[in-house]
Amino acid sequence: MTATDEELVARSVAGDTDSFNQLILRWERPIYALAYRQIGREDEARDVCQEAFLRAFRALPGFKGQAKFSSWLYRITLNLCRDWMRRQRRAPFVQVPEGVDVSDLAAAAAGPSESIEDVIGRKDLGRHVAKAMQTLPDEQRSTILLKEYHGLTFQEIAELQGCPLSTVKTRLYQGLTVLRRQLERSGVVTATPAGGRP
Amino acid sequence: MIDPRFCGNVDVLMSYLYEEGDNLERQAFAAHLAGCEACAGEVSAMRAVRGGLAAWAPPETVLDFRIVREPESRPGRFAWLAIPQMPAWAQFAAASLVVGVAVGISGLEVRYDQQGWTVGAGWSRQVSAPTEVAPLSGVQQASTAADAPWRAELAAFEQKLRSELRPADAAGTDPAVRQASLAGSKPPMGDREFMARVQELIDASETRQQREMAVRIAQVTRDFDTQRRTDLTRVVDGMGALEGRTGAAVAQQRELLNYLVRVSQKQP
Repeated sequence: MTATDEELVARSVAGDTDSFNQLILRWERPIYALAYRQIGREDEARDVCQEAFLRAFRALPGFKGQAKFSSWLYRITLNLCRDWMRRQRRAPFVQVPEGVDVSDLAAAAAGPSESIEDVIGRKDLGRHVAKAMQTLPDEQRSTILLKEYHGLTFQEIAELQGCPLSTVKTRLYQGLTVLRRQLERSGVVTATPAGGRP
Repeated sequence: MIDPRFCGNVDVLMSYLYEEGDNLERQAFAAHLAGCEACAGEVSAMRAVRGGLAAWAPPETVLDFRIVREPESRPGRFAWLAIPQMPAWAQFAAASLVVGVAVGISGLEVRYDQQGWTVGAGWSRQVSAPTEVAPLSGVQQASTAADAPWRAELAAFEQKLRSELRPADAAGTDPAVRQASLAGSKPPMGDREFMARVQELIDASETRQQREMAVRIAQVTRDFDTQRRTDLTRVVDGMGALEGRTGAAVAQQRELLNYLVRVSQKQP
């Protein structure tokens, strides 16, 4: 039977390092993905991920369980990303590979049913999304990341960002609107004619 | 019928788009979309953007973070005796220094004579009684004189006394010679006076030896302390350089490993 986050946290607080390593194993991918999408650099995202777990481990005795462990971890990660960007004094930089590597595309195929054309289209769209995301303010970008890629509820994001729930929805709407314009301008997303059915 | 309170309502739009919030309100908004082309177009466009967001995936990388507790090591009372932390050359130098100091302090004496090999410490030597002073052969004189400075002086004094006593003995057998000798030299020294002079010389020599030993011990102690400080400084510097090199090597290994993983993942 798989232990819940809360159970593993309790054991970790009691001094069981293996339990915290299980939490790391469970959350390192999402935390790395959040850091990468936030700052756009692979190596630095890995460093931020590592530092986030280290800080969480050190601060674990002070974690009283008011929020979910994952939300607490996301907050630590976003703070570290914000510190990193402030230190670098630069906007998030997205590493966009030049050209198309066939072997890379083959490896990126989601499954045997996905053709090479689909993979190329998906990666091309991903590059445009990455470019468009870096134009967003930090609050809008992190709101979209937490909602779209990590599935947090509006309430969880509001608690994590320390703002009203309506502000979260506004940030999400504004961010999606900017992305929509950017992607339509790039031609990767077609403008939906008025009257399109949901 | 279009409900105007839903048009431009971000709160309701986001709740509907992410299927979160009041269920009744979302159903009402769905009904509103059936009659409002503007809101329906907005929802459709937002869904297209969300579809595009799904295409953005972070690159694959190796993540193998672990929290590892290092065993706690408290410095003990004799932590400085942790010899395994010292390099081999430093241990050898320290051991040589300790042995040298010990030999110097003890005044170790190794002697080979008619009785075979004799090993003794300086404080085990006893001052010979006056009656034990015996004439030394040439070989014994050479080996004994090489042992300590006072022995050489003692031997020289003995030779001098013998040279003075020899004419006196000769004069005792020949009255003419004895008369001439008495006229041209000092009167012969008695046994009591002779032994007193010898004792005086021995005392002076021991005093000099003790003074010299004290000076040497002080010098050795100072040298030992200086060498110890130098060795400790070198050890600390060496450890720092080693840590730096190890950290750099670990970083290089990690980069190399990540590169290999990326390359291997690219293989069809």
